[in-house]
Amino acid sequence: MERLTPRVRVVWLALALVRAAIFGGIVVGAAIGVTRTDLWAGAPDVLVPAAVAIAVALAVLRVVVAWLRYGVWRFELRDDDLYIERGVFTRVRTVVPYVRVQHVDSRRSPLERTTGLATVVVYTAGSRSSDVAIPGLTPARAESLQESLRGLAIESEGEDAV
Amino acid sequence: MRSLHPASVAVRSLSRSLNTGFLFFVVGVVVSPGGNGIDLLSVFGLVAVGIVVGIVYEFAYYQRFRYDLTDDTFDVTSGVLARRDRELPLGRIQNVDIRQNVLGRVLGIAAVHIETAGGGQTEVSLEYVSEDEAHRLRRQLRRGASGGKPADDALEADDHTTASDAGPDETLLFEIRPRELVILSVFTIDPGASLLGGIALSFASGFDPATLLPGDRIGWLPGPETGPLVLVWGLLLFLLAAWVVSAVLTFTRYYGFRLTRADDELYYERGLLQRYSGTIPLEKVQALTISKSVPFRWFGYAALSVETAGYAPGQSDSRGTESAIPLADADRVNELARAIEPFGPADLESPPRRARERYAVRYLLVVAAVVGTAALVARYTGVVDRWYLLAAITVLVPLAAHLKWTSRGYQVGDRYFLTRAGFWRRTTKVVPYYRVQAVLHQATIFQRRRNLASVTADTASSASLLGRAATAHDIDDQRGLELQADLEERLQERLRARKRQRTVGQWFREADDGDSSDEDPSPESNDDR
Repeated sequence: MERLTPRVRVVWLALALVRAAIFGGIVVGAAIGVTRTDLWAGAPDVLVPAAVAIAVALAVLRVVVAWLRYGVWRFELRDDDLYIERGVFTRVRTVVPYVRVQHVDSRRSPLERTTGLATVVVYTAGSRSSDVAIPGLTPARAESLQESLRGLAIESEGEDAV
Repeated sequence: MRSLHPASVAVRSLSRSLNTGFLFFVVGVVVSPGGNGIDLLSVFGLVAVGIVVGIVYEFAYYQRFRYDLTDDTFDVTSGVLARRDRELPLGRIQNVDIRQNVLGRVLGIAAVHIETAGGGQTEVSLEYVSEDEAHRLRRQLRRGASGGKPADDALEADDHTTASDAGPDETLLFEIRPRELVILSVFTIDPGASLLGGIALSFASGFDPATLLPGDRIGWLPGPETGPLVLVWGLLLFLLAAWVVSAVLTFTRYYGFRLTRADDELYYERGLLQRYSGTIPLEKVQALTISKSVPFRWFGYAALSVETAGYAPGQSDSRGTESAIPLADADRVNELARAIEPFGPADLESPPRRARERYAVRYLLVVAAVVGTAALVARYTGVVDRWYLLAAITVLVPLAAHLKWTSRGYQVGDRYFLTRAGFWRRTTKVVPYYRVQAVLHQATIFQRRRNLASVTADTASSASLLGRAATAHDIDDQRGLELQADLEERLQERLRARKRQRTVGQWFREADDGDSSDEDPSPESNDDR
């Protein structure tokens, strides 16, 4: 079983914080907007603190989940298939047979480029699992993974993978 | 190279003119000079421009559109401004659908839609060709599709070709009976129809529901306030209108439904005003779904859909339903499903009993939420009075949990994976192992508490995005892991078996006619692994 690069936690934490900040900004901003204007005359005083509390609680939850996600994530190139284990709340174990791989992408978002990481995306024709992404790889590992997945997919050629 | 039917210029222009004409009408109204009031002359001038533009465009479209059926591809060259050359390998064609609306039937033209797996929409639409050409194309395309991949059915190859040369000898598999059609029409609720019914009703009432209220009956009806009464009456009329419209639409849609089998494909026909027909290649079937919805199940009826990878997820609600038997006697449906995919007797394994407890807890939480909401409403408004009476729903919880539990099940058959779920719409999915794309083992935080998990066999079927996937719900966690490994193992085994079959078929073919293997497109032919 292969783990992700520990650095991926930085990416996830940054993403969690940005998302929490956007959500918190909207909620708290709306609460302040409602109390400052006369849209809702009888607005209770606890509205703004409650909104702040909700935003902070969700931010903490997001950060915790982002941190825990690293501990759960595992993948393995097995003989006939790619095996992936992930998910903090809903634990998902995916098995993708190499016969079914349509194509393999490697992609790097700006955040990933600054942290020196890459994501490999494996596409199948399936309707639910049509793209399986493995984040948090070093560029070298991403390249070798893409290469070996490609090789394995060609080796196990099927009819038309549909 | 062939071109479309000349009448398609007129028909396409008509629909195009309606669109562009309306667009220019709106534009004309908006930019109409003068400020006060609409200058009719300039508006209609613009509408005329729109119509002319539409006709010119459609004429150019007709001039530019060329298609050609070669031995192993279907080539289409089209486009007025942006030109496109498209080649479809015949072996990759999934469904071929022919649609004819009323105007098309009068003029004797039809639209042909060709689907392949992948892509966000229909790959090729021929709008329009003559009826005969449409049916010729359908036959040729499907024959080319199975002929272009000879390895798949090589063992029946020789009698297959002679059969389709002489014209397909079709065996009737299914024909909808009047009783089935009536039951289907009466009990089907078409969401589009309810909207239509509502609009029709709004027009009929002059946008005032009060006019529909029979004035003379108010006198003896209880309740002094007429406001809610009008509302209820309006709602009742709306439901009635929606129901009638829905029934009529369903009736015309499935009127004369026939399903025939010719060689290795199914062919359906249906429709009273608009005619729909098309082929479903049996070698491309991803999954079968037998669904028994509640009113129909009580009458002993079921529906069957044959899923292929042809339709894109977004269009599966409009088109994917066509590859289906809308309603038939449950025994006939089972028989037919087994004729398509010979799965054994459905002997399903239930989830463990602790799954039932889970459902009971879930429903209890729902009841608690309902009661809690009612309590809040009762406290802050005067609408609800004795909110605690709602807690009586609790008696239904064990029953509901039990029904949910009994509806769910799965079976790991010899060649097929079967799953069943849903009480109101009991859906049985039959997935051949060699169609499995990926296997997902999922356990939510609540499932993990009880050591439960759900295993999904994902296929390339386009219907499972909106509908239900083949999921064995709430089975034991360890059993789920075994099932996942088992499904994967059986997939590999079936793939090896199919490959062996193909290779053997290939030898037979090579013995039959030595030179054909040279131009065989399938890579396996020269592979001696």
